[in-house]
Amino acid sequence: MQNQTSSPIPSFFEDSGSDRKGILSWILSTDHKRIGLMYLYMVLGMFIIGVCLGLAIRLELFTPGKTIMEAQTYNAVFTLHGVIMIFIVVIPSIPAAFGNIILPIHLGAEDVAFPRLNLFSWWLYMIGTGLALLSLFTGNGPPDTGWTFYVPFSEFTTTNVNTAVFAVFILGFSSILTGLNFITTIHRLRAPGLKWKQLSLFSWSLYATAWIQVLATPILGITVLLILAERVLGVGLFDPNKGGDPILYQHLFWIYSHPAVYIMVLPAMGVVSEIIPVFARKPIFGYKAIAVSSIMIAFAGSLVWAHHMFTSGMSDTAVLIFSLLTFIVAIPSAIKVFNWIATLYKGSIFIEPPLLYALGFIFLFSIGGLTGLVLGSAGTDIHVHDTYFVVSHFHYVIFGGTGFGLFGAMHFWFPKIYGRMYNKNVATTAWAILMIGFNLLYFPLFIIGLQGMPRRYYDYLPEYTLGHQISTVGSWILAVGLIIMFVNLYNGMKSGKKVGRNPWGGATLEWYTPSPPPLLNFDKEPDTFKGPYSFKGVERDE
Amino acid sequence: MTDTINKIDTAFLFIFGVSFAIMILITLVAIYFLYKYHHTKHPEAAQIEGNLIAELTWTIIPSIIVIAMFWFGWTGYKALRDAPADSMLVDVTARMWSWKFTYPNGKTSSELYVPANTPVKLNMTSVDVIHSFYVPAYRVKMDTVPGMQTYVWFDTGEPETYEILCAEYCGVRHSFMLSKVIVLPQEEYDAWISTEEKPVEQPEAITILENNGCLDCHSIDGTELVGPTLKDIYNRETVIVTADGEKTVKADEAYLIKAINDPSSEIVKNYEDMMPPFAEDLSKEDLGKLIEFFKTGMPAEKPGEKGAVIAENEGCTGCHSTDGSELVGPSFKNMMDRDVIAIKDGKKIQLKADSRYIISSIVSPGEYIVDGYDESMPPYDYLEDEQIMALIEYFNTLKD
Repeated sequence: MQNQTSSPIPSFFEDSGSDRKGILSWILSTDHKRIGLMYLYMVLGMFIIGVCLGLAIRLELFTPGKTIMEAQTYNAVFTLHGVIMIFIVVIPSIPAAFGNIILPIHLGAEDVAFPRLNLFSWWLYMIGTGLALLSLFTGNGPPDTGWTFYVPFSEFTTTNVNTAVFAVFILGFSSILTGLNFITTIHRLRAPGLKWKQLSLFSWSLYATAWIQVLATPILGITVLLILAERVLGVGLFDPNKGGDPILYQHLFWIYSHPAVYIMVLPAMGVVSEIIPVFARKPIFGYKAIAVSSIMIAFAGSLVWAHHMFTSGMSDTAVLIFSLLTFIVAIPSAIKVFNWIATLYKGSIFIEPPLLYALGFIFLFSIGGLTGLVLGSAGTDIHVHDTYFVVSHFHYVIFGGTGFGLFGAMHFWFPKIYGRMYNKNVATTAWAILMIGFNLLYFPLFIIGLQGMPRRYYDYLPEYTLGHQISTVGSWILAVGLIIMFVNLYNGMKSGKKVGRNPWGGATLEWYTPSPPPLLNFDKEPDTFKGPYSFKGVERDE
Repeated sequence: MTDTINKIDTAFLFIFGVSFAIMILITLVAIYFLYKYHHTKHPEAAQIEGNLIAELTWTIIPSIIVIAMFWFGWTGYKALRDAPADSMLVDVTARMWSWKFTYPNGKTSSELYVPANTPVKLNMTSVDVIHSFYVPAYRVKMDTVPGMQTYVWFDTGEPETYEILCAEYCGVRHSFMLSKVIVLPQEEYDAWISTEEKPVEQPEAITILENNGCLDCHSIDGTELVGPTLKDIYNRETVIVTADGEKTVKADEAYLIKAINDPSSEIVKNYEDMMPPFAEDLSKEDLGKLIEFFKTGMPAEKPGEKGAVIAENEGCTGCHSTDGSELVGPSFKNMMDRDVIAIKDGKKIQLKADSRYIISSIVSPGEYIVDGYDESMPPYDYLEDEQIMALIEYFNTLKD
């Protein structure tokens, strides 16, 4: 990983800012770029585990009845797939990894506001991840509750739920502290001359995300602690046999977990807002509208949680209110999509891997968003709630959205981080395979969901077989695409062609600094007065 | 198709139609831009930063569209919630991992029988964890929550059979928590609801016994009432008290006829002399049928049949197989009188699964947990003694 650059100043790979050597110079580093990379490697490692669990689910569903595992194993597998993907992969993916690496540079800063706290967040993340993995191998079997931990089932089951919810509690703290750090950094560490109106849209999206992390995550922390209190002490807050209310749990859970979807997707929207203008060689269309819509999504998205509960038995009045609010949150997302497309208008477009991933994001996220309208509408939600329609919708938004956003970010900032370029043709091939595999995997699930196939089913009625089989074949194609993509990036990291400061011709501040950047990010004062999307005079430096 | 389903499907069509149009539009426009403004054809990008009118257009039009979608959805939802006042009521109890339907006359079943073209309202609850009652064909779904009443209603439509699925994850047998809505023509439904749980052809002799009031004092299943039971009465060794004192006789045909026509002449020991003579009330023909019945027809039901129905309706078979295969709990097959290793208060003990043990396992299953199984069975302490005895009898029939 020790890359040589032509820059006279050593890169952050060479200069750790301390006397520590080897692994210690990483795991005790307070450099935002090193911490960001450690998040990235962990996230990608856990992503591969999550993908393997997902492939096992798809394989089990290839035929009705038992295919490769027993029902109890299947229930544990989908629970772990959810817990790992949501709490360990998707939530920290873009904000903790690329947010850490890129945000301070976008602000013209040398680091985040609280570098030690940043390292502490990473350690909490590692402890939480370790505990989550520990829950697999200790106690009375891996948890089988689904990632939602719904009561009373999560009180009822004898599997190792305690360790798993405690892991979620700790992961939550990691997320809260990162959010706090980013908010302070954006407020206090912008370089002189960098006004709010010149903030990159990636920074705006992280700012909106950070507020949700700080405000909503504590509720998750409290909720999972209450599950522990129920299980260990038998307090009776949620258990109706002891005078508790299981619906209360669902409210608490979704007050965090719906906004969490925006924690997942907003940073990816930020990435897309960065990529599209660079490859269209023109300013982003409607900068203010996109920035404001990020804040709108964060705000309105915090008020729609109970649309997960239309069938829970809550009042019809609540259904009316939450259905209406849900439709309102659709509008800022639509505004973003239209602005991205409009940015291409009269551009001078370079079709390269980062742009393809950004366009993939727009296509898949739009399908995810539009099918979300079916779920926001009360009458139609009743039919498809808790069916494969929801599973598919969710994966279009989170995998098609955040996942492709993450892949886009990886391909976009790869040359900046490593100072080398991957093979673009292979990257394009991988993208095409991923798009085919993805749609083959998830689109049939919309259909069987509409036909009434409930989610979290180990076994299914024979009429759903065809949809499941197409989907499973899609999962194999997707896996091939992922392997090609990762191998290509790995090869690029080891032996790709060296690049200069600005291989894509971007205008945000990271493209003014050497690739990879030095320890304190800049070797000369960045020009902060130009604005992040002003491409006049910007040359490609490949 | 009923009115409610119509409203829901209209909402589906509207949302899908508009979404499809939007999707096609943005995809085609994006592809067109990629082609038209590729850097080889369009080397100099126009530096456009925005356009207020465009921004307003794609804020206001989507706003109107989503409000329309909301309205269609809400109309459909209202239709799902407004149960007609004259709906037929059925109580639904969900439990791991089966459904129990209780009809107004007290009859219960594990599949839902309803008359055609009738609004049916289901009042639902759960005894353990949250389940969700889902009938895709009727577009209805509602969670069943322990400690809470929820409801769904639907118009049953034409005679047909539809799937019932559990839609809220509830543990290891979640995907097997299936049942059916069986929509019957009104007459067939009426016939179904008015029959007893076990629709057995009743032998004519039992009708004769019923009509003559015999069964008020004599049981046919072995229970002691006022008089001796009729079960296995034929050729039974019986001690009788006559004017001459006690003697033991075989209850043959001649004895039985005499005992019916002139009961006071010979009284079975330990019983009161209170049965009226039936010489005049009972025709020769009926008497013959009774004797024939005593000789061959006993007992009226197969052993264990009642218990099997209870096991099905109470959902026992959702977790316990009857053929020896492993589900969630131990199989009923050869369960009685086997040796088990159970865990009580954390200690392993060996014991015999006799009827006392089995009864305690039904009423308070948490006391002993069979080694290798989870403590997940709810207590069935609401069962009547009679039902528990029927279950035990049923379990005994499952021994090889």
